[in-house]
Amino acid sequence: MRAWAERAVLPAAILATLATAFVVFYLPVLGVLSSAVVVTGELTIGPVLDVLRDPFYTGAAHGIVTDPLAVPGNVLGWITGGFYGVSFGLFGFTAYQAAISTVASVALGLPGAFVLARFEFPGRRTLRSLTILPFVLPSIMVAVGFVAMFGRTGLLNDTLGAVGLGPIEVLYTLPAIIIAHAFYNAPLVTRLVTTAWESVDRRQVESARSMGATPLRAFRDVVLPTLLPALLTAALLTFIFTFMSFPIVMALGGLELATVEVWIYDRVQSLNISEAATLATIETALSLGLMYLYLRYEARQRTAGGAGQSLPRMALLRGIDTLRSPLRLAVLAYGLLAAVVFIGPLASLIIESVTAPNGAFTTAYYEFLLAQQASTAVGTTRPLPAIVNSLVFGAGTLFLAVPMGIVVAVLATRGGRGSRVAEAVLSAPLAVSGIVVGLGLLQTVVFGTVLFGYRLTAAGPVAIVFAHAAAAYPFVTRNVAPALGGLDERVSEAARSLGATRLRALLDVELPLIAAAVLAGAAFAFAISIGEFDSTVLLAEGVDSYTMPVALERYVGNRSLGPNLGPATAMGTVLLAITGLSFVAIDRLGGRWEP
Amino acid sequence: MQRRTFLKTAGAGTVIALAGCTGDSGGDGTSTEVPATETDTPQTGTPTVTDTSPSGSLTVATYDSFTGEGTAGNYLKSAFEEQYSDVTVEFTVPENGVNQYIQRKQQGAPVNADLYVGLNTGELVRADEELDTSLFEHSRDQLGRRDAINTELEIDPEGRAVPYDTGYISLVYDEDAVEEPQTFDDLLEPAYENGLITQNAQQSDPGRAFLLWTIDAKGEDGYLDYWASLQDNGVKILDDWQPAYNAYMNEEAPMVVSYSTDQVYYHGEDVNMARHQIGFLNDQGYANPEAMARFTDADQPELARQFMDFVLQPEHQAEVAQRNVQFPAVTDAELDESFSQYAFEPPEAVTFSYDQLKGNVEGWIDDWARQVVSN
Repeated sequence: MRAWAERAVLPAAILATLATAFVVFYLPVLGVLSSAVVVTGELTIGPVLDVLRDPFYTGAAHGIVTDPLAVPGNVLGWITGGFYGVSFGLFGFTAYQAAISTVASVALGLPGAFVLARFEFPGRRTLRSLTILPFVLPSIMVAVGFVAMFGRTGLLNDTLGAVGLGPIEVLYTLPAIIIAHAFYNAPLVTRLVTTAWESVDRRQVESARSMGATPLRAFRDVVLPTLLPALLTAALLTFIFTFMSFPIVMALGGLELATVEVWIYDRVQSLNISEAATLATIETALSLGLMYLYLRYEARQRTAGGAGQSLPRMALLRGIDTLRSPLRLAVLAYGLLAAVVFIGPLASLIIESVTAPNGAFTTAYYEFLLAQQASTAVGTTRPLPAIVNSLVFGAGTLFLAVPMGIVVAVLATRGGRGSRVAEAVLSAPLAVSGIVVGLGLLQTVVFGTVLFGYRLTAAGPVAIVFAHAAAAYPFVTRNVAPALGGLDERVSEAARSLGATRLRALLDVELPLIAAAVLAGAAFAFAISIGEFDSTVLLAEGVDSYTMPVALERYVGNRSLGPNLGPATAMGTVLLAITGLSFVAIDRLGGRWEP
Repeated sequence: MQRRTFLKTAGAGTVIALAGCTGDSGGDGTSTEVPATETDTPQTGTPTVTDTSPSGSLTVATYDSFTGEGTAGNYLKSAFEEQYSDVTVEFTVPENGVNQYIQRKQQGAPVNADLYVGLNTGELVRADEELDTSLFEHSRDQLGRRDAINTELEIDPEGRAVPYDTGYISLVYDEDAVEEPQTFDDLLEPAYENGLITQNAQQSDPGRAFLLWTIDAKGEDGYLDYWASLQDNGVKILDDWQPAYNAYMNEEAPMVVSYSTDQVYYHGEDVNMARHQIGFLNDQGYANPEAMARFTDADQPELARQFMDFVLQPEHQAEVAQRNVQFPAVTDAELDESFSQYAFEPPEAVTFSYDQLKGNVEGWIDDWARQVVSN
């Protein structure tokens, strides 16, 4: 009887996962996207073709749709013409900036993973926990931090000026966007790759070395195959996220550097929903296509391993000898660069929160937070409920998204034929514009859906947690699936041959072996929940279930201390402190289950 | 009052749980909210304390910064509830503003509000273009205060949306860094290279107003060329007022598109007033009136009308103007003298009317945005 129940758990979990994802993600999103391909009740690709053949959107590539036969001739003309500059329109520019952003994020994030995985130094674990911080920061705060750090009169130029260098002017140019994208996404690279690196089995490296492999060869044959899936996952996610980037582009680049997502946002603002849906459909198709190709690749690359003791760490600091080691000097130089890119904007944000418009020190913005907390006026957004709500929703998301993500990972790695397609489709929450998700939720869940003559609506805490979980579970899957796929299947087969159910084998044998990956996924789930804004603000409406980012956004518009961002920066600092502490706690608590 | 708040929220069909979805019956646009006693009979005169005693709950949809501690919204709520002790004013603050109600009406979802506060001309045009039947109903001729409204600020030929205050878009500039630009053409001079920050007209109110102002100055056929030159001279177009003003305060450029009431916030001994000079190009400012309008599907149309009249009273107009840092919409507001010391009105106000915007504004903005991105 008990075995029967255990056998039922996994299928039931799969169904529950699919049902949740369907209600809070697929149904709303498909409702919006369908207006791209359904016009007055009929299926059509007209609107999609209209976009593709508009040079504004696709530049030189519009010829592929309007006059495909002329394409070879045109390409030839371009080659004989000396490869003159070609524009590929809004989509081309968006992909271009995403590609550079991805390269920059990997370049900045990968050394970080190396340092965190291979060196030992005071504060390493805390630093590792905090790498996820940029992920939760609302873009308006990143913009504030960047202007204060990289601006004309910013911290960096002040520092450079003091030693007779500079000034550098980077704001409102493409490099500013690239750096901001790296600020958001390099931590993703660091985080994913560090987890993978730590899962490299030291015995495998040692046996390779003892069989005569050079360190380089051992790295290539043992370490690299474990890192590569994580690195490529991170690169893929970075590309997709920066492709769909929007507020940061507008706040640090300006309209000249607009991306597709900026356009989608504006179409929605002017209620031109069908064009927004068309752009979003193309965007989603590109992202999901990329995701699918990657997953096919990943499935082929999976190698056994990852269940042993991790590699021993080297001491980073060795007193004065540190300065004689080129590797350690390089690490310290990297640390300096990372400090400029990561700590710079965050520190600038904190400084802004105690600086009055005239440059003097002030505690007014924190007093504002206290006054908001004490106020009894209606419509007041209080900081404490925002903090509590954020943490409660974060915990709720964690408890929902981790099982959901694991279930999808099991489905993807053990599901047999078609499981790659299934995982790609189930990864869609990563690949759909947040604007579209928000609009979809508004139309289905907030306005309500008429069923049997009743208009069903949902809002408030439970709806928010479900929406967060739908956004977060693909992150868990992306962390867990490669690790699960890398497990030696004989381990779980042995357990099952001894009579364990599929569920028992998963819970007692497989998951403990990949605890690090599960924990990493859990941290991401929590981070997604804390940082989520688009859906939260819609579902929190009219109910006192606002979160820290929503409170922060409301303080941006609060004029009681004049039209400055001081109150928002104070709230941003609180957000940073609370999430920082949470991540340290999650890692410390979760670390107890790590091998 | 807490209990009433809760009942209202629940009655309006908001279910605080996803799993146990239950809805109110019908889905026909009517709310189940029932006031304690029925409202008085409609009347057309100026409401005073004595002639009626309205009761019930009035739901006002508005934007974020209109409510909260010390705001115009909360002042109006307290004053209105004080005058009519059986009335409760509730605010609802939809994230996407009036679009929320346009979309609700399009989908047949209930509107759940009586009055919208914070409507501008472009939004009214959009609502009318998107919907077959009007989202709002006529109010002006039923208002006792209709004759006091400054007619220049009227945005709605049909009298549904009634202005309650206005702002003027102008430049704010640093007089230590640049001389005051006098005309739009001055902005193309080398002296103002990389000098101006404005906002995306697709997303931001002042950004849109500034674009419309250039269309007014340069004409429908000339504004795109003007903007091409402006771009050549290094104008920066950020997404919204807040990042733009933040960039200005961090000295990223010596001029920013903002409001002519800038100094109301920035004056006093520790403020460098040189950085808060107001520039009226062509001796003009672009007027951006804010209006209020009753929903056609309102549950409390009469109460909403009384609230509108209340907002237009001279003493309340002064409070709204000062708390919202805008100019009053009536000719007889009782403003403090200190207000006019720091809030500047342009010698000439320009603005596009409803009829001029209708059918045009989306195309103007679209052409402009495409050109900016393509350049």
